[in-house]
Amino acid sequence: MVAYLLFALTLGGIYGLLALSLNLIWGGAGMVNLGLAGFFAVGAYASAIVTGAGAPVPVGLAAALLAGVAAGLVVTFSTLRLRDDYLAIVTLGFAEVVRLVALNERWLTNGSDGISGVPAPFKAALGIAGFNLFYLALVSGIVLVVWALLRRLDGSPFGRALKAIREDQELAGFAGKPVLRFKLQAFAVSAAVAGLAGALYGHYQTYISPDHFQPLITIYIFLAVSAGGVGRPSGALIGAYGVVFFLEATRFVAEVVPALQPVQVAALREMLVGAALILVFYLRPQGVLPERIPPAPRMS
Amino acid sequence: MSHLSTTRRGLMGAAVALAGTLALPRLPHAQGAPIRIGTLTPLTGAGGPYGPVMVKAIKAVVDEVNAAGGIAGRKIELVSEDDQTNPEAGVRAARKLIDVDKVVAILGTWASSVTTAVAPLCWDSKTFLCTVSGADSITALPHQGYLVRTQPNTTLQGRKFGEFCLETGGKRVFFISPQTPFQKSQFDNITLAVKAGGGATGSLIYDDKKPSYRSEVDEVLRFKPDVLILGGYQPDTTVLLRDLYRASFAGKKLAFGYSVNQKLVESLPAEVVEGIFTISPSPAEGSKAYERLTRLIGVANPDPYTTQVYDHINLVVMAMALAGEASGTAIKDNIRKVSQAKGGAKVDNALDGLKAIAARQPVDYDGASGPCDFLDSGDITDCRFRYEQVRGGKIALVKVA
Repeated sequence: MVAYLLFALTLGGIYGLLALSLNLIWGGAGMVNLGLAGFFAVGAYASAIVTGAGAPVPVGLAAALLAGVAAGLVVTFSTLRLRDDYLAIVTLGFAEVVRLVALNERWLTNGSDGISGVPAPFKAALGIAGFNLFYLALVSGIVLVVWALLRRLDGSPFGRALKAIREDQELAGFAGKPVLRFKLQAFAVSAAVAGLAGALYGHYQTYISPDHFQPLITIYIFLAVSAGGVGRPSGALIGAYGVVFFLEATRFVAEVVPALQPVQVAALREMLVGAALILVFYLRPQGVLPERIPPAPRMS
Repeated sequence: MSHLSTTRRGLMGAAVALAGTLALPRLPHAQGAPIRIGTLTPLTGAGGPYGPVMVKAIKAVVDEVNAAGGIAGRKIELVSEDDQTNPEAGVRAARKLIDVDKVVAILGTWASSVTTAVAPLCWDSKTFLCTVSGADSITALPHQGYLVRTQPNTTLQGRKFGEFCLETGGKRVFFISPQTPFQKSQFDNITLAVKAGGGATGSLIYDDKKPSYRSEVDEVLRFKPDVLILGGYQPDTTVLLRDLYRASFAGKKLAFGYSVNQKLVESLPAEVVEGIFTISPSPAEGSKAYERLTRLIGVANPDPYTTQVYDHINLVVMAMALAGEASGTAIKDNIRKVSQAKGGAKVDNALDGLKAIAARQPVDYDGASGPCDFLDSGDITDCRFRYEQVRGGKIALVKVA
């Protein structure tokens, strides 16, 4: 049971990083990124390939960050004129492109077989139980640092400018804000965080394949950020841990319902996830921790 | 203020105490505690049509064994989880099976990516894994013996295709296929078999969503093949066959049983599909285990995966009975002693097997999916294949070999 809780908390942390990434770009700059799974995949593959070639794990994590930034810049440059739904559709397409490249470019990604044996840092030295604890500490530490930085960013002039762009891009431009530069920076940082999450996932599971990066995970993260509170890093983080907790808890809830076939239990779990989403939006559409908008300073 | 009011300090203390109980060592199982076995089949997602029947077959065997007194007096408890045909979800489910339910074995992983993702958890925790996935790479994992599979791998399937091409007198063989997990390995092994017989091969990968394959057919004809192997799925193979007929392709055609099926034959004019050969891994139809399985679950033609998981559970039960111990390691060390003991009593179900084991007889299990004899790698040594041909709008059996 302890191992299972450690696993769930580690996974919660990885989902948390993804939620922080989405919160920055969606909650901060108002750009809907349905391609989150794509950036997650880019980071996971970057680190798996680099460490597979013999580099140590920290270099792999750095490579994941860089690959995330590069992918983020490519997507922003190719979608300069798009906003809202149109941007969302293109980013969804980006995630599919990443998945198809991973599926077909065997020389790089080993195709549909995926990359197995991704190095798990210190696993041999620490043993399995020790590794689980160490990895939880590592992921939680990284989550804490990223959360603190993004919280700081949120309250800084940079964060305020992003929110101005979110509310009205033209107006922010008139006010002298370099809109394009802000967008590029925000998307790059967001993609880097998602890439880092991917790398951490790959080194934890030791196996990645194109099947891992189906849109399902993007949907979970949107659920997390919406439920936690769009536009506030703490909200996104709470939402992510909440989603993992809820996904896992439904297993045990569904098991106590008597006289159900396993296939009905599986269906019941999916219904519970849907019902939870509806319930959250009905009872608390602004999320658990809604965005705080500081009052404008008074004129003296 | 009441003495019973909850203080923050009290609450924190209680919470810490409660969390602390998790760290307590688990009490050792009393003799007679149930043995837990997990199923991890796709109940939703792309594999959704297969998983529920697979679980049903496993459950039927478990009920039977429990009714007969279980394994050395211990009942079997089945825990079923859904892998959602997704490796990420599959890993979460497997963690729960291993860490919370403490299962000794996980049966029935279907998608190759799910199996590859779950396998490391299994060998780390010494949990035995039985799978129906076909990708070659799975048995090449460092699984230390904690994995067997009953699905013939792509190497074996490719060889059978290549050998059959030679049998029909083909020397120039062309393989046309969309991008699939098994495309490369399939072609490599066809080539190996055909080259060994002095032939030559060529291949082409196409996009399986195109409305016409004229240019692909031109490329095929340029190779002048005697035999063309169609590696696609049913929708794209339908289009491809029509274009081949238009181009008056005269060579023999060979396809997977799951793509050139009755539905495809009915949807095309008889002359377009006449004479196509098909190959599919064959369950041991007509064997005692197969008959028994159809009676047990009330399905007349169980799919290959269901016949395979039926064999998984029978083997796992017998291996634990022989070991006299319920653990993944016990299964690992004993599964080959019940699946292929030399000169052992031939059994086709766990009940007969348990009796033979109790009588200290060696056991050789022959299952519903085939003879179920395993190499050290975890692959099966042999599997029967079903060869069929389209004749006059019907799919006729050529041979099972």
